[in-house]
Amino acid sequence: MKNIGTLRAADHILHLAWTPAGDSLAITPSTGDILVADATAGIIQKFPAHGMGNGASAWFHGDLATCGFDGKIRWAGQEWKPGRGMIERVKTSPDGTHLAAGQGRALHIFDKNGPTDFSLPQLPDAVADFVWNPAKANQVATVGAGGARMWRLGEKEPFARFDWGGASILVDWSHTGRWLATADQTASVHVYDFPRDYPLHIQGFESKVQALAFSADGTRLATGGSPVVTVWPCTGKKGPEGAKPIQVEGHDLDVCAVAFSPLTGQLATGDESGTLLVIAFETGQFRRKRSRLASGISALAWHPTLPLLAIGHVDGEVMLLSLA
Amino acid sequence: MSRIPVTILTGFLGAGKTTLLNRILTQQHGLKIAVIENEFGEVGIDHELVINADEELFEMNNGCICCTVRGDLIRILGNLMKRKDKFDHILIETTGLADPGPVVQTFFVDEQIKEKLYVNGVVTLVDAKHILQHIDENDEAAEQIAFADVLLLNKCDLVSEADLVSLENRIRDVNALAVIHRTTRADIDIAKVMDVGGFNLDRAMEVNPHFLESGHHHHHSHISSVGIEAPGDCDGKKLNDWLSKLVQEQGADIFRMKGVFAVKNQTDRVIFQGVHMLIDAANGGPWGDRPRKNSLVFIGRHLDREALNAGFRSCLA
Repeated sequence: MKNIGTLRAADHILHLAWTPAGDSLAITPSTGDILVADATAGIIQKFPAHGMGNGASAWFHGDLATCGFDGKIRWAGQEWKPGRGMIERVKTSPDGTHLAAGQGRALHIFDKNGPTDFSLPQLPDAVADFVWNPAKANQVATVGAGGARMWRLGEKEPFARFDWGGASILVDWSHTGRWLATADQTASVHVYDFPRDYPLHIQGFESKVQALAFSADGTRLATGGSPVVTVWPCTGKKGPEGAKPIQVEGHDLDVCAVAFSPLTGQLATGDESGTLLVIAFETGQFRRKRSRLASGISALAWHPTLPLLAIGHVDGEVMLLSLA
Repeated sequence: MSRIPVTILTGFLGAGKTTLLNRILTQQHGLKIAVIENEFGEVGIDHELVINADEELFEMNNGCICCTVRGDLIRILGNLMKRKDKFDHILIETTGLADPGPVVQTFFVDEQIKEKLYVNGVVTLVDAKHILQHIDENDEAAEQIAFADVLLLNKCDLVSEADLVSLENRIRDVNALAVIHRTTRADIDIAKVMDVGGFNLDRAMEVNPHFLESGHHHHHSHISSVGIEAPGDCDGKKLNDWLSKLVQEQGADIFRMKGVFAVKNQTDRVIFQGVHMLIDAANGGPWGDRPRKNSLVFIGRHLDREALNAGFRSCLA
């Protein structure tokens, strides 16, 4: 592992996002300016902070879209305030044509000209998180109290729904489009198998799952919350159901961030103490590299085409680490 | 690390919550206060310290209404706690029609929230001119009074002194524990709202030393308070068993519980509080020169004073 460079933002790093080409990294701290760095950790651009705090940013048509607790979205010199509630994150559709933002009970959908009729302004529950279907760019899932709902752009009723009564805080959709996974307010994960229309409830976690991610090939789901990282197999007819997960130890405190490399398939995980694990999977086993960094890890993002990992820390530092 | 106090501001529609919020946001009190607002009113828009959020209710344990909590609060408060520049105080304004229960319960249920924040007090604004009508017509209005640690009897300029006294008695029927302040246009020393001091049964007794005495209230409402006081020590196991059974059977009707116990073989006071089925106990420090005794207050719906008294007395050592 080689430290390529570091930089410092104003506060706890909430989110890191590389451009699709990997030439720029968006760095969103919880408060303070949102930064854009190059692949050597040089700051090349700054965007103003959102009042009362920032939400997660996203690249949209080559420019950075930012959002925040002030209920505003800023992109390419424009500012939209679609409602009064806070906006915790914006996400770009896999084909790059649309930008979505959850705000209270609304899911706003924008294109490069601004708000679109695809928006869903009156959902039954507040949108805690949402995710685009990587395999079908016109599908998006929302989660919050009650479960998950799947929507096609242009339709006002969900084409699928999974109701289970509790609430979810995070959602991810596998790149193959087969699996949808939620991390819940309780110490559990729900995994939905679309072809089988089958919901799986995975319990027994030591604490609330704070991070989850699918591998780029959709064959693994990593979950982190306690000091143990659990990696679920998502292959075969039943996926994680009845399967024995891989459990990786080596963290000192609760895991806050997990990310799979789209290039190598390695899994990076970071915890509150600053311990970083980089896990390589081989047939039936795994290898683990462990590093102790200076402060707690809050966000991770792999470069799209290089063995380069961006690590965001609770104190605002961002480190670029080469794993070549 | 010291926990950050949270004040929950409730009050029926038109009671004056927004006026009070504006005072809090504009007065020079030296505190850095974050406001989480669910009431999308006309004030506070774009204020740099205000976060607007839709209520997001969910049940922690499927089907248990007593474990209904606020998901949006868990996420917002979690985010605020991550920041370098911490707030001195957090104020949560509920909607006029909200049941305060889920907001309070959030602070009992979520471990990460419990670790970093505590409910300093529930402040309820009451429209002195219209509250009697609201209590009779809306359960929410009575429940907001029942949950209060501090009650601002607002718009007092619109009501006669005799009516105010009558109104205070009526409020006491519902909640014997709350400190009542009379206000006009929500004009009050902010410290009386923000510095409630969390659990403070002692202070409630200073304000009204007789509020634990039974038999003095003439209940007009199905929501009422029951106070129990007994000198000496109680048996910790018996007390725990009784309280556990009580909240299991009647938790849905018990809005709030507060108590100070002298537990046999424990030198320190045991501070107890609860919301519906959720109960919590903490060390209240040494008794010092004070006589060892037990004080317990229930605020809730359809409370059976005699049964509660008998139940508690069976726990005495």
